[in-house]
Amino acid sequence: MDTARADALAARDHLHQQGWIAPRNESFRHLPPPGMESWLQVPADGTVPGCDAPPLAGAGWTLHPVGNAPQGSVQARWLDAQDPAQRDELFAGLPLPGDGDAAPFAWAHRALCRQGLRLRVQATPGKTGPDQSTVWLQLRHQPRAEAEAPLLVLEVDDGVRCVLIETHEREAAQCGRGVAQNLHAHIRLGTGATLQHLRIAVPGAQDRMAHHVHARLAPHARYEQALIATGSIYHLQRTTLDLQGHHAEAHTAGLLLAAGSALEQQVHTVHHAGYTTSQVETLALASGNARVVANAHTRIAQGADEATVRQRLTGIPLAGQPRLVLRPHLEILHDKVQATHGATWGALPEDALFYARQRGLDDASARALIVQGMAQALLARCIDHPELLATWQDSGWLAGTIARHLATSQEVHHG
Amino acid sequence: MNTPSTLLQVRNLRVDVGERNVLKSVSLDVAPGALVVLMGANGSGKSTLGLALAGHPSYRVVSGQAQFDGQDLLAMNAQERARAGLFLSFQVPPDIPGVKNNLFIRSALNAVREARGQVPLDAFDFLASARTAAQQLGLPEAMLGRPVNEGFSGGERKRNELLQLALLQPRLALLDEIDSGMDVDGVRAVVQLVQNLRAQGTAFVVVSHYLQLIESLEPDTVLRLDQGCIAESGDLELARRIARTGYAHAAEAVGA
Repeated sequence: MDTARADALAARDHLHQQGWIAPRNESFRHLPPPGMESWLQVPADGTVPGCDAPPLAGAGWTLHPVGNAPQGSVQARWLDAQDPAQRDELFAGLPLPGDGDAAPFAWAHRALCRQGLRLRVQATPGKTGPDQSTVWLQLRHQPRAEAEAPLLVLEVDDGVRCVLIETHEREAAQCGRGVAQNLHAHIRLGTGATLQHLRIAVPGAQDRMAHHVHARLAPHARYEQALIATGSIYHLQRTTLDLQGHHAEAHTAGLLLAAGSALEQQVHTVHHAGYTTSQVETLALASGNARVVANAHTRIAQGADEATVRQRLTGIPLAGQPRLVLRPHLEILHDKVQATHGATWGALPEDALFYARQRGLDDASARALIVQGMAQALLARCIDHPELLATWQDSGWLAGTIARHLATSQEVHHG
Repeated sequence: MNTPSTLLQVRNLRVDVGERNVLKSVSLDVAPGALVVLMGANGSGKSTLGLALAGHPSYRVVSGQAQFDGQDLLAMNAQERARAGLFLSFQVPPDIPGVKNNLFIRSALNAVREARGQVPLDAFDFLASARTAAQQLGLPEAMLGRPVNEGFSGGERKRNELLQLALLQPRLALLDEIDSGMDVDGVRAVVQLVQNLRAQGTAFVVVSHYLQLIESLEPDTVLRLDQGCIAESGDLELARRIARTGYAHAAEAVGA
């Protein structure tokens, strides 16, 4: 038996021995994930059943230029996890799944992973420090199988600035069947590197989606992640931020939109080093009988002098009787730190709604404008790149997505 | 029965806010192009009248009638009133975080234009008009690209209200203490804009405590509101007397 297949089978055995995530598991108890088999639906002959989608190039990941922005020095390798040598290269340097709360997802990923993409963003030759131009990347991912475990490894070299727009949008015309997608992304930021990461995850209504982003930051590295996610029958977005180097900074913003569907965001941050900063902010908008859970768990390890932590979770029910769970949590093991956290449940601001209606906007337009504004303000507080946000805003994607969400909310409400 | 010379006709309006009765019985008429000044002590119901006429859901009309250009104003929702040409300048205009001022105003203007059967303005044409109006009102052009009222000073908020008034060109504008927080140039801009719009037929109900502004506006009528009722009606002389004696003495004089 080849080593790639042996590794996958070992992961599967480990998973079966350890068992799946228990329904009362503290990290998942508000929205328990579907059972193990949902993430491992592979026939006995080992072939992965295809959906109706036409085959895509590469590993489900496709890399696209963004405007006229420089592409810089980007090494991209699409690797076959069923080939022993390529599997070694694909998983090189990645930690084993371990035994944490979400480890069963990681073991299931090892067991099913067929292909992956490794990206390395390097400094532009001949330029150093502030002269480095920002590298812009756009990654799109389309599912290729009913059960799949895509992998992305992204390394940003010391001092390099990178903008990454990562999109997961189902194109209904390509495939109407639900898929189970257990995706893992490992991000490594070198000393002084910056990654501004815009993530869009819009699954099909019948999709089971679990995305795990693991980011590790070296000294003075900065990571900004803005996530826009919509609900499905099960949708988990879990980000683990590992602030290993002093003065590392991580900011995340999550805009969660769920109308009669399920959606959970988990952001786990660990401050290992001194003078590190993290900020987690989430805005959850739910309607109908949606179930939305937003978790922010931050741990400040011993010795993390002058660490600064901020968590702010906001939930707004738009219509119907959604279940909105907001869970800010701090674990502080060092004295000399600053930490604030809070959770707010509320309605859209009535004074602003009336103001807009008094100027002639109908109720739906006023609500859409205000929600869009709240979303843009949220993203702007996280992503320190007005040009990126302006370009993206001008595309109308956010406005369209929010308008569709509010329209669905209305339908759910009236239905 | 409404007459063509009356744009707004209010009869015996009674308004509750929550469990509290604020307006007991208010009647007034406003003709096209007319300017009515509304004075009154704090808590007399001036802002409540404006918000109730504009259709704020928290201000419940218990009884009475209001006709706007022959139509039942109270049967319309807030946006229908705005589209019919009723504009309220807020005493404390709220923030709308993340929504750029120019997008907000253009969306509002196009909603009103659509109701009037006019073609919507594209971003280019709108910006040209907005820049011109902002310049005339002393509002820095940068304010157009900032989120609505966010981080604006009191005077900037009021100038932003004037900008919307100038662009929306309503048939009736209710200005609630538009001069508060304004500097001298701002007050001058208010007077100039009101004069220009009055010349085009816009009517005004202006809430103010300051005689200098009131005199500059050359009102047709001055009303004093007291405890939810119109206590006195007159001309500029009434405003001058209130400025001399204050509201307490004005009430005593009527009582005597």
